[in-house]
Amino acid sequence: MESVPFMGVALDLTAPAGSDEAALVAELKAGSEEAFAYLLGVYQNPVYNLVYHMIGDQSEAADVLQNIFLKILRGIRQFSAKSSLKTWIYRIAVHEVLNHRRNWGRRLFHEPYSVDDESLHLRAQGGMWGRDKETPYRVYEQAERQAGVNRALASLAQPYRTVVVLREIEDLSYEEIAQVLGIAEGTVKSRLRRGRELLKRKLAAQMSG
Amino acid sequence: MIFESCAEIRSYFSDYVDGACDARTVRSIRYHLSGCKPCNEELERYRAVQLDLRGLARQQVSPNLALRLRVQVSQELHRNVAQRIMIRLENVFRPVLLPSVAGFLVALVCFGLFLGMGTPRTNNIPDVPLDLVTPPTIMELAPMNFDMGGRPLVLVTYVNARGEVTSYKVLSGPHSPKLMENLDRMMYFSLFHPATTFGVPTSGRLVLSFRRITVRG
Repeated sequence: MESVPFMGVALDLTAPAGSDEAALVAELKAGSEEAFAYLLGVYQNPVYNLVYHMIGDQSEAADVLQNIFLKILRGIRQFSAKSSLKTWIYRIAVHEVLNHRRNWGRRLFHEPYSVDDESLHLRAQGGMWGRDKETPYRVYEQAERQAGVNRALASLAQPYRTVVVLREIEDLSYEEIAQVLGIAEGTVKSRLRRGRELLKRKLAAQMSG
Repeated sequence: MIFESCAEIRSYFSDYVDGACDARTVRSIRYHLSGCKPCNEELERYRAVQLDLRGLARQQVSPNLALRLRVQVSQELHRNVAQRIMIRLENVFRPVLLPSVAGFLVALVCFGLFLGMGTPRTNNIPDVPLDLVTPPTIMELAPMNFDMGGRPLVLVTYVNARGEVTSYKVLSGPHSPKLMENLDRMMYFSLFHPATTFGVPTSGRLVLSFRRITVRG
């Protein structure tokens, strides 16, 4: 497991829990550069993954990610530990994505999804999944399937997409999603139900088309 | 809970695949599924969607973006002008800090050694001695009169802590028995300030030089 030195101790790059998180937050509030480096090590990939799946564009996701960590940096003193650090960070991330979309008025799900996408090439070479033993046809079929899922996900309306991404890709609980989005758990469930239903239909339509 | 239609049970599939249904609902769903093939197929489609979503490749931050984030965080943390100046100074001084401190300490040690090796200063002013070490000084010579035949006489006297001459030795000059007898008498009746070390009287030596002794009685 990868680790980085933090406050003289090598810590694993996993989300801290309990007293570890309290200590980390205290260091962050004190402006420790090492603590922020550790925070980046833990959260930059999950947050980037979330942002990418909500926006669907790598370069825009990179810009938004930088804004998110700037806001985390500037707002850490206001973090009151009413929720977990992870939930707080995800809330900032979701709000930043929504602001970004609102400001630019982009509807990314209308953009064509090219099979020449770089990631598809990587996957076709087995580089992304490390499935070198699979046949090229199987790898290509898998890549096509994922591209279809990405297309279907990108075409979902934002409220459903956000909930689906947080639940299925980021593996947050209903309670955490409710905290991140500031909505009731019942709303989370209904949005998730509707999002899954829509996704199922879109994927079925892709298969039949 | 008894489901009246397949549509009703299917509305629970989303919660069911997440394990978010209560035990009673789970039992009812399982009972219904045991006899309903279309609902089983629908549930499988739900699970397939879930698997597809969870199987999406996780996006990783590129090394370039990770570096940009680190730089951005660092710049933001040191946005304060005073802090930025401090960091610049730290960066400038850090490479020379150890050599300069070591050099200063070595210089300090050498200076201390040099001070220790130096000859202690003498103080002939009749005042409270402030130096660390002072030699014995003459307080009063005995009134004697004797002739040395024009030759200089140099002698070293040993003075104890009470200012009394304990002995003396002629370094150069005449050695006649009469002269020695007169010298003995003069030294016996003369008074000296004793030598001091840190202000404490102690024994010491004093070199005296005479050309012609004519002490009026």
